[in-house]
Amino acid sequence: MLRLIHTADWQLGKPYGRFDSDLRAALSEARFDAIDAIGKAAAEHEVRHVLVAGDVFDTEGPEDRVIVQAVSRMQRYACTWWLLPGNHDFARNSGLWDRVRAKGAANIRILAEPVPCELEPGQWLLPAPLTHRHNLDDSTALFDTMETPGARLRIGLAHGSIRDFSSRGEAQNQITPDRAQRSNLDYLALGDWHGSLRVDARTWYSGTPETDRFQRDEPGYALLVTLEAGAEPSVSPIRTGRFQWLMRSWTVADAEGFAAECDRLLAQVEPSATLLQLSLSGIVSLSDRIAILARLDNDLRHRLRHLAVTADDLVGRPSEQDLADLRVEGMIGTAAGKLMSMIEAGGSDGAIARRALERLFVEHQRGQDAA
Amino acid sequence: MSLRIRRIALSNFRRYRDPFVLDGLTDGLNVIIEPNETGKSTLLEAMRAAFFIRHNTANRLARSYAPYGEAVAPQIEIGFEAKGEAWEVSKRFLKSASVEVRGPNGRAQGEDAEAQLQALLGARRDTSQGGDAAAHGALGLLWVGQAQALEVTAPGEIVRDSVRATLEAEVGTIMGGAAYQRVRPRIDSQFAEYWTNSGRPTVRQTAARDEHEAAQRAASEAAARLAALEQGFSDLEAARARLKVLDRDLADTSDAEQRRTLVGKLDVARSAAQLLDTRRAEQGRLVDRVRAFEDLASRLATARKAVSDTAAALSKARDSRSGLVGELAAAQERATTARELLIRARDTRRAAHTTLDAARMRAAERERWAASGEARRRYAELVALEAEYEATRQLAMTVIPTTVIKALEERERTVDKARAAVDAGATRIEFAGDVGGLTIDGAAAERGDRMLFRETRIRLGDAELIIRPPVGLQGAETTLANATDDLNAALAEYGVESVAAARARNEAARDAVANLRTLEARIAGITPAVTLLDIEAGASALKLFIAGLQEGAEGEGNCEEPDVETLTIASGEADTALAKAEGVDAVASEQLREVEARNAPLMVQEAGAERDALNAAAQLATLETKPEVASLEDALRDARQQEAAALVNLQDAERAATAHDVVTIERQIGLLDKRVEVARAQRTDLEKVIAGLEARIEAEGGKGLADRAAVAREEADAAVANLARVTQEAETLKLLRDTLESARAETSRTFVGPVARRARRHIERLLPGADPGFGDDLGLASIARGGLGESCGDLSRGTQEQLAVLTRLAFADMLLEQGMPVSLILDDPLVYSDDTRLDLMTEILTEAATRMQVILLTCRDRAFRHLGNRISLTGGR
Repeated sequence: MLRLIHTADWQLGKPYGRFDSDLRAALSEARFDAIDAIGKAAAEHEVRHVLVAGDVFDTEGPEDRVIVQAVSRMQRYACTWWLLPGNHDFARNSGLWDRVRAKGAANIRILAEPVPCELEPGQWLLPAPLTHRHNLDDSTALFDTMETPGARLRIGLAHGSIRDFSSRGEAQNQITPDRAQRSNLDYLALGDWHGSLRVDARTWYSGTPETDRFQRDEPGYALLVTLEAGAEPSVSPIRTGRFQWLMRSWTVADAEGFAAECDRLLAQVEPSATLLQLSLSGIVSLSDRIAILARLDNDLRHRLRHLAVTADDLVGRPSEQDLADLRVEGMIGTAAGKLMSMIEAGGSDGAIARRALERLFVEHQRGQDAA
Repeated sequence: MSLRIRRIALSNFRRYRDPFVLDGLTDGLNVIIEPNETGKSTLLEAMRAAFFIRHNTANRLARSYAPYGEAVAPQIEIGFEAKGEAWEVSKRFLKSASVEVRGPNGRAQGEDAEAQLQALLGARRDTSQGGDAAAHGALGLLWVGQAQALEVTAPGEIVRDSVRATLEAEVGTIMGGAAYQRVRPRIDSQFAEYWTNSGRPTVRQTAARDEHEAAQRAASEAAARLAALEQGFSDLEAARARLKVLDRDLADTSDAEQRRTLVGKLDVARSAAQLLDTRRAEQGRLVDRVRAFEDLASRLATARKAVSDTAAALSKARDSRSGLVGELAAAQERATTARELLIRARDTRRAAHTTLDAARMRAAERERWAASGEARRRYAELVALEAEYEATRQLAMTVIPTTVIKALEERERTVDKARAAVDAGATRIEFAGDVGGLTIDGAAAERGDRMLFRETRIRLGDAELIIRPPVGLQGAETTLANATDDLNAALAEYGVESVAAARARNEAARDAVANLRTLEARIAGITPAVTLLDIEAGASALKLFIAGLQEGAEGEGNCEEPDVETLTIASGEADTALAKAEGVDAVASEQLREVEARNAPLMVQEAGAERDALNAAAQLATLETKPEVASLEDALRDARQQEAAALVNLQDAERAATAHDVVTIERQIGLLDKRVEVARAQRTDLEKVIAGLEARIEAEGGKGLADRAAVAREEADAAVANLARVTQEAETLKLLRDTLESARAETSRTFVGPVARRARRHIERLLPGADPGFGDDLGLASIARGGLGESCGDLSRGTQEQLAVLTRLAFADMLLEQGMPVSLILDDPLVYSDDTRLDLMTEILTEAATRMQVILLTCRDRAFRHLGNRISLTGGR
């Protein structure tokens, strides 16, 4: 029996340049923390081997700090870390992996060559490292030619996407989906797909241990895999991720409906570890729209770790009352009327006019409040 | 409803110290025409004071009401109609200040009265020091003091507000000024964060743009650095691949194999080249040999031809001479005969003469004997002289004739010429050093120069050097010998050793001749003719006498007389015979000489030809002595055959040498060597490059360039998004502000419309086709004529004043419509107007006076006297 942890796509050093510096630091740090989470899980489950199926680093040329952080964190744990170069951190002469190797960590094994290694006697690991960012050949094809004398278990480790036979043309870094069966593997540990995915009983994507983009709501996982010759592998996910990257699209009818959605969301999540990408749509009165945006800016934005709002589809249409309120104001009413006619004319000017009208409305109300 | 002033009473008010009452003012146009300093303006001031200046104020204005230098209480009473009701106001300033208003609601005093007045007239409490026309409401605008109308001024706030109600009612909309004023500044301040007043991006926009540009720059720099690193990686890969190829090339043995083969070929080629050289030398030698044989053959032919030619010439010369030989012999015969005859004739003559002489001597002997004594004496003297003379004569006798000398010289020249010819042809050799054992023509050689005139053999040991001077030399030598013989013969004939000696002898002889003449003269002197003794003058006669005397006996005189005459004839005949013989001899000699002269060149020719023939023969003989001559033709043929064979060999050798060209093979070997050398150099360079690239990658790779590039790229993307957001915000604010501005302008235009319409009614009359433009403050701002706008400030003073009056009139009309109590008072108006405009203005004012009370205060009698109700200040006082 062999127990190991299958993980991938650590993407250490991912820059998150579009976020502000605080969040950027937190997200970067979380990726390093994932190593600790995996190391602790290994210790907890008495796992001696951690297989990392590619994209350990986000780029082939990370900062030294990134390498030192990664290596030093891995060194804290007793398990052996088997690192496979992926498309982000492909292997090449004088490249990244030589730098990692130079740190001299005894429990880190870099699989820069497609040469089988014995994890334990009779338990062979067949690595398919990537040597280029884009590889047109199936890197796992070499598994067929690898000698594993006296193998009781053959475990493949590769990085790439499962080949889609229906598509035409040449795709990059593709792996035939029945590789495990073809190459007589007991388990094929794959990386590249950032969510956990079971391709078949013996072929799995572990997903990234720390989610790094708005794609799915799930946090990051690693897979605890137990292998026994002749038996189907037992695979169970272990949560390693800290942050949740949520995407929400709300169609709101009014400010009250929006408030209810907000409350529902906040009840479900840990706000300080939540990044939310929110799309709002619907048609509301101008005053409701202003109230909604105010709630977002003044409340939700501060509760959550990060909030990105797309409210262009949330149309704030001035109600009759809104317009009547403005109309009694003479010149302001005239201006509102002009903007309305521009909005009705549509086009890019219409969009600007809509924002201008909203601003006018906001300022008018603020003026009234002041008065 | 117009405000109508009915009565004005003043006392202690400025120049009106005494009480003054003005009444008789009608509803329409009232004209007060008075000269300057009459108090027209004071009147207007008094009205303002009564209506608008608080009674209890002691401000500067109020104080100015008191007549100068007096502490009195200025007092004003005005009766007027407003809103159809009669009113009266009475005000006292400064001292016991008071106010009283009497109206339809009774009377009021103090503050109450002031408030009633303000409410009635739509004025505000004037808190200014010098009077604020804006606070005076409509009348502040319509009561126009002196020179106040010179500028087109906007109505004050009170007027605007008063008018606004009318306007709003008229245009059916609202200004909403208050809400606008709250919103607009905030929008403006937000706008100012994005745009300058002139609409250029500023502050936040520029910041976003700068940030965006900086981020883009940083991103592209990071990308460039990363690309450079990536380039380093791919360069490194490429370099390593090239190195591998080079190593494989260097390890390849086929080049070395080829080189070995080539080196083998090189030896073959070298020997072929050597063979070619040998063959060339061989062929050259054979060619030379053939040439030598051909030369010999040609020389032989030449010699043979010379032999035959000279033989022919010799026989020809002999032939031509043989004809002359007989002739020569005959001539010699004749000459000999002639000489013999001559000799005989001479002998005969000599005998005859001798006989004659003897006879004659004997004849004279007797006579001579007599005179012999004398003769003996003279003879003694003569003997001495003659001894001397004889010596001299001996000397003189040696003279040689000039012709002979010339002939001698000629011969000598001939000898010299011949010698020169010999010398020229001779070979000059010089022996030097040890000449022992060296023989020349068998004789031992001596050191020094030597001329060779004929073939000479010089031996040293067994070696023999044969020197052959030119062929012509022998002829020259013969000529020289002949000439020398001739010369020597001639010299011998005259007993001289040389021509020079002959000349010297002649010199001495000539001197002797001269002496002889002296001696002869002396001898002649002592040898006069002695007829008796038959001694003729002269020594010989004397000597002859003496000699006879000695021989004979002096005393003899008795000897027989000889036949002298016969003897003389015989002697004459002998002379004639001699002469004949001499003639014959001369002719014969002449003929002989002639023949000999013809013979001489032929002899020379013959000698030359003989010599030539000999030379040619000798030369031929010399040539023929050469051993190869015997088989010359065979030798030549053989030599040619050998040469041809050598040529074939040479061509073979050349072919062989071409087939194995040393240079080509060496070049090929050089190429192979060069290739290896270049490969090694490239390998070294590549290793250098690889080391450099590795160093660079090691240095740059650790800097996390890919991370940095990714960060920079994402930051740049964020900057783009931010810029878009900021730009959108800026555009939004710009649009909002522009919209607000245009709404305001539109509203203003809407509101200004009624004012403009009213004003245009009047202005049209003044300036046909002109369109007044009003500002937001309802002030007349511009006049548009013919599509061109003009600012009011740019118009002429007169026009400005007229427009100012007309706009006031328009406002007055509007206020009137609103029921405001208004009237128009113009103090000294239209001072700059021309006659036409003045007429037009008065017409407009007259027409306006049908709607409201108009009071004109003016000093210009002629301009206004024909108008309306004329009131005199002086008359009323």
